[in-house]
Amino acid sequence: MIRLAFRNLFQNKIRLVISVGGVALAFLLILSLDAIFAGVERQITAYITNSGADIFVAQSGVRNMHMAASSLPASVIEDVKGVPGVEEVAPILYLTNMVVIGDERNLAYIIGLPEDAKMGTPWKVAEGRGNPREGETVIDRDIAQKSGVNLGDEVEILGRKFKVVGLSEGTASLVSSVAFVSIGDFAALRGSPDTVSFLLVKVKSGESPRTVATRIETQVDNVTVQATTDFAAQERRVVKDMSTDVINMMNLIGFFIGLAVMALTVYTATLTRRKEYGVLKALGARKGHLYRAVLAQALLSVTIGLGMGVAFTLLLSVIIPRLGLNLALEIGVPSLLKVSGVSLIIAAISAVLPIKQIAGLDPAMVFRGK
Amino acid sequence: MLLARRNLLQDKTRLALSIGGVALAVMLILLLNGFLAGMNRQITSYLTYSPGSLIVAQKGVSNLLGATSLLPPGTAKDVEAVDGVTKAIPILSQFVILDLHGKKQPAYLVGYDPERGGGPWEITAGREPESDSEVVLDRVLAQRHDLKTGDLFEIMGQDFTIVGLSDGMTSWMTSFFFIRKTAAERLLRAPGATSFLLVTPANGITPADLKARLDDLPGINAPTKDEMATNDLKLFAKVFSAPLRLMVGIAFLVGTMIVGLVIYTATVERQREYGVLKAIGASNRTLYRVVTAQALVASLGGSLTGVLMAYVVGQWIMSVRPQFLIVFVLRNVVWALLAGLGMTLAAALFPARTVAGLAPAEVFRK
Repeated sequence: MIRLAFRNLFQNKIRLVISVGGVALAFLLILSLDAIFAGVERQITAYITNSGADIFVAQSGVRNMHMAASSLPASVIEDVKGVPGVEEVAPILYLTNMVVIGDERNLAYIIGLPEDAKMGTPWKVAEGRGNPREGETVIDRDIAQKSGVNLGDEVEILGRKFKVVGLSEGTASLVSSVAFVSIGDFAALRGSPDTVSFLLVKVKSGESPRTVATRIETQVDNVTVQATTDFAAQERRVVKDMSTDVINMMNLIGFFIGLAVMALTVYTATLTRRKEYGVLKALGARKGHLYRAVLAQALLSVTIGLGMGVAFTLLLSVIIPRLGLNLALEIGVPSLLKVSGVSLIIAAISAVLPIKQIAGLDPAMVFRGK
Repeated sequence: MLLARRNLLQDKTRLALSIGGVALAVMLILLLNGFLAGMNRQITSYLTYSPGSLIVAQKGVSNLLGATSLLPPGTAKDVEAVDGVTKAIPILSQFVILDLHGKKQPAYLVGYDPERGGGPWEITAGREPESDSEVVLDRVLAQRHDLKTGDLFEIMGQDFTIVGLSDGMTSWMTSFFFIRKTAAERLLRAPGATSFLLVTPANGITPADLKARLDDLPGINAPTKDEMATNDLKLFAKVFSAPLRLMVGIAFLVGTMIVGLVIYTATVERQREYGVLKAIGASNRTLYRVVTAQALVASLGGSLTGVLMAYVVGQWIMSVRPQFLIVFVLRNVVWALLAGLGMTLAAALFPARTVAGLAPAEVFRK
């Protein structure tokens, strides 16, 4: 019966292309969207995970960096330094603004750094240096290349001109990048010199970041303190919570597309082979055998479609970064498990209609020429 | 044409499948485009309903939702002094992430002065904030999280009382909420700060003329509301348009394949009849017409069913998930109908080739 399924499937090439292609497209839809959001989750936490800090201190109630604002009085720096277990504290200023190059405006997270900062600095400097002094900036290399900016050129940030002294790597995502300026310039432009946005904390060796974080939160007023891993997890949750509804909707659409194509191709394949099934029935083939042939056919084409869908998505994940888009596609195991489950459901449902058709087939009919 | 009708009507399941295929594709295209149009409307809702026709922003900032804008101190006075400015309403705004029932909800905080404007444009319950500890929340956001007027609501570690609910300000990505400007200054620890000025030109002054005058002031730029809306859309479109357009493309391809397959199978099964027709003198053109007529009926039935299904499913989605706005624009409906037609014409190519390649004598040899 499996051979029959194989033959049914491969005999009509157009139908094969349509069934496998349709299912592959549906899976591509589900997989690529999952991969896009998984990639965005990684990009969004790049600054936090590469900051070198063990703990992030923010304004009370602020648990995120992306799309958020935090403002702490500068006096908090000394308060945090005095907490047992704290090795080093570095303040940063942060807001979302534009890196303006000529007529081009690039959305960027602007980070204001102390000149001697050891944490929160660009983690991979491709050219120049990573610690901007007064009037200087470090911007992302991809953004600089795209706009034709080199070391020594000027860009505009927060409405003021800065000289580019360094180009960083791994600091750009699809919509934004990270640009670094000195904390003094940032404070002057922002007009609130006595505040900082976040404190980056290094703990003493042997101390647990989570324990020290709890200690800071109990000893210092009006702050929310999180270990870096927890802070990054909060960032990933923003992407997840924002995208859940959209992903669910698109998954449903992908499922229906796959189901429609599969149901139709298996149905028409069975329909055109009605006579053969009748002959098989007349020769004594049991219904179970015939059902298995139909089911095997559906499973086989869904599996090939799944393979192609995964291959297309992998291909996209290789091609897209080469197109100059700062979009990373990441195919995860949960996503693969999900589509495999979906493919089984599609195969099972699409076999129902043809099975009903075979069940109602009268073996004698085929000899009457019907 | 009789033959086309007979071919179509003889197998009801096949007819249903081919109409269903087109309908599914047209519905998907319409829903996806409706979703995109709805998203665009939601993104630009504040700009659409807020007063004024120009927005004064910090130099270099050209959109409302993307970047944080902080105007140089004294800008409001300078702008008001410019000839041709009737009104310049200050707002202090910032994206914040709310933690609501364990879920992260990005929301756009607007600090405004209720006496001057720039706040919610449609309050469905309650009133505007009168003190620095009051907030007006979006109705859909409140409903989703079981919040009502009188409830306490935490923003950046501070408690606010919900005193009003407003309409038309939420989307699945973000939602707007309003507090007094002085409260926003305190919350963001930025006393006296202003993000944007909503500027109304005097009678007889065009926004373009006023823009040129305002752009001369130091440290600011003054895009029109339309320009700003376009920039916001561009920013969000970068993220969401590509996957949505990919899906519209896939829906079109799948629809074409479904209809193509159904009509192809119907033609292949009737190969002998077509051969006989050819043998008795029917030209290829006549046979093409039969195949195309079949495709067109499937297209018409499918497209109309698709439009109807899109409307019903759209209403259902919006009632189950009120944060989604699906807007059917006439242009998109026409586009989807044309896509349905295009699908069937492309689909008719497969069987037409089979019919054209048919040798009349073959049928008599079988």
